[in-house]
Amino acid sequence: MTMLEVSNINCFYGNVQVLWDVSLKVEQAEIVALLGANGAGKTTLLNTITGLMRPKSGHVRFMGESLDNIPSHAILERGIAYLPEGGRLFPEMTIRENLEMGAYPMSLWKHRKENMERVFELFPKLKERQKQLACTLSGGEKQMLAMARGLMSNPKCCLFDELSYGLAPIVVTEVFNIVKSLREQGITVLLVEQNVHQTMEIADRAYVLENGRIVLDGQCCDLVNDDYIKKAYLGL
Amino acid sequence: MIITTILNIVIGGLIMGGIYAIISMGLSIQYGVARILNVSHGEIIMFGALLTWALQSSGVHPMLALLIGCPAAFIVGFVLHRTIYKRLKDISPTQGAFEGNAMLVSFGIMYVLANIAMMIWGNQQKGYSFMAYAVNFAGTSIPVNRLFVLVIALIVSVLFYLFLTRSRLGKSIRAASQDATAAMMMGVKINRVAAICFGIGAVLAAIAGALISMIYQVNTTIGLGYTVIAIIVVVLGGMGSVPGSMLGGFILGFIGSAVSYKDPSLSMVAYYLIIMVLLLVKPKGLLGR
Ligand SMILES: Nc1ncnc2c1ncn2[C@@H]1O[C@H](COP(=O)(O)OP(=O)(O)OP(=O)(O)O)[C@@H](O)[C@H]1O
Ligand SMILES: [Mg+2]
Repeated sequence: MTMLEVSNINCFYGNVQVLWDVSLKVEQAEIVALLGANGAGKTTLLNTITGLMRPKSGHVRFMGESLDNIPSHAILERGIAYLPEGGRLFPEMTIRENLEMGAYPMSLWKHRKENMERVFELFPKLKERQKQLACTLSGGEKQMLAMARGLMSNPKCCLFDELSYGLAPIVVTEVFNIVKSLREQGITVLLVEQNVHQTMEIADRAYVLENGRIVLDGQCCDLVNDDYIKKAYLGL
Repeated sequence: MIITTILNIVIGGLIMGGIYAIISMGLSIQYGVARILNVSHGEIIMFGALLTWALQSSGVHPMLALLIGCPAAFIVGFVLHRTIYKRLKDISPTQGAFEGNAMLVSFGIMYVLANIAMMIWGNQQKGYSFMAYAVNFAGTSIPVNRLFVLVIALIVSVLFYLFLTRSRLGKSIRAASQDATAAMMMGVKINRVAAICFGIGAVLAAIAGALISMIYQVNTTIGLGYTVIAIIVVVLGGMGSVPGSMLGGFILGFIGSAVSYKDPSLSMVAYYLIIMVLLLVKPKGLLGR
């Protein structure tokens, strides 16, 4: 089943166009990577999917239904979790409170206790430190908390924006293993990344965005052998 | 003798501190979430005080007046945000432009409110006697109305703190003041929360006004002085930090009480001195980030 379908999106900041006729599809329980250099428009695309920004033209569909006029909190309630670039935790709130904020919409708030228990199984370290303020966590722990907060809405589909940014290689592996375990649970993942090597290892398919246009897409196993990708992104 | 003096200063400090804390917490969440430095805050305090006086003189108990005033103040704050500030935010090109324009607008609202009050009540001092008896404690006689005000101020501060830390709405207010965009990503309706914060700020101002009228004479020009104090406290405690406002309120209250004991006209001078020194030493305020 197609979970997420973006068709022919054009996006502007003021008069400046940053996305040009972008289309992509993510099937259920797939990990799809969205690659691209700085400023390519990756974050803009995620903001558009989650309703924080609206495209000038084009459509977004989720599980067959249009999201075009759905407010962003309702998109969250339908099952799309968004982990923004840099985590964006609430620094002066505790781990527990940050997690609760991940289940803020009323329909999710009622189930926050069950969801928190579920999330703690995935991140046992967080459970031990529930009362600690988010600003006192290490970089890796912050990213774990950001993921956990995203999962508090019990999503069907996760959008991760640069999960690996600023993390030590070993922590990246740890974080990516969690992403793989999400796929095993049937959760769909759209993964925005600059860390192309490791991303290609876990993703099923990838799209490459350049200057606001999709220039390439395909199965990861094919793309790693693609000359263009090798040269531009893998430094080979 | 020295004990009596200290006791007087401490009680005076607690009372002033409690009132300052309430006022400043209100200003603080308005700035923290709505990003508006609400200069008309003091005028709501003044309205709270004079409406309590007016209702009291037509036979309504001041506490009952407070119960009537709170919902009214909430509506005023909420509607002000919904009608004026929200629109201003929608048309402002940048966040910086919005903050500047919003402060100018709040100056305008300040003058409008001050003039309306002047038309209704003129500029004489108004006062009423409320619980006008004293209890003796450690050789000092303490007016009961002041103790009453102190207790109410502490109750309001504690309730407000519990609201912010325990309730779903309170958590969304704190989240929005720490990172508004991230709060939106979590599904917080930021404009609605900002309007609610404006309403709550006005409620706190009205409560403070009612309390002030129970212990001091009031008139239609008291607003600006309280606005200045609230701004000093908010800067002292750290912009947008509610615990900082509470702490700052009590610190300023104690200093005011101690200085007033020597010469009441010096307290404002002392406040400005403190804020100048603090801004040089710790520019982000006591609990600022
Ligand atoms: N709020 C904004 N106003 C104006 N232009 C913006 C805004 N946000 C992003 N842009 C521009 O849009 C383009 C795409 O930005 P975007 O953040 O989507 O890129 P990105 O692929 O996520 O980059 P990065 O890898 O650095 O995060 C960039 O040229 C950027 O300068
Ligand atoms: Mg980005």
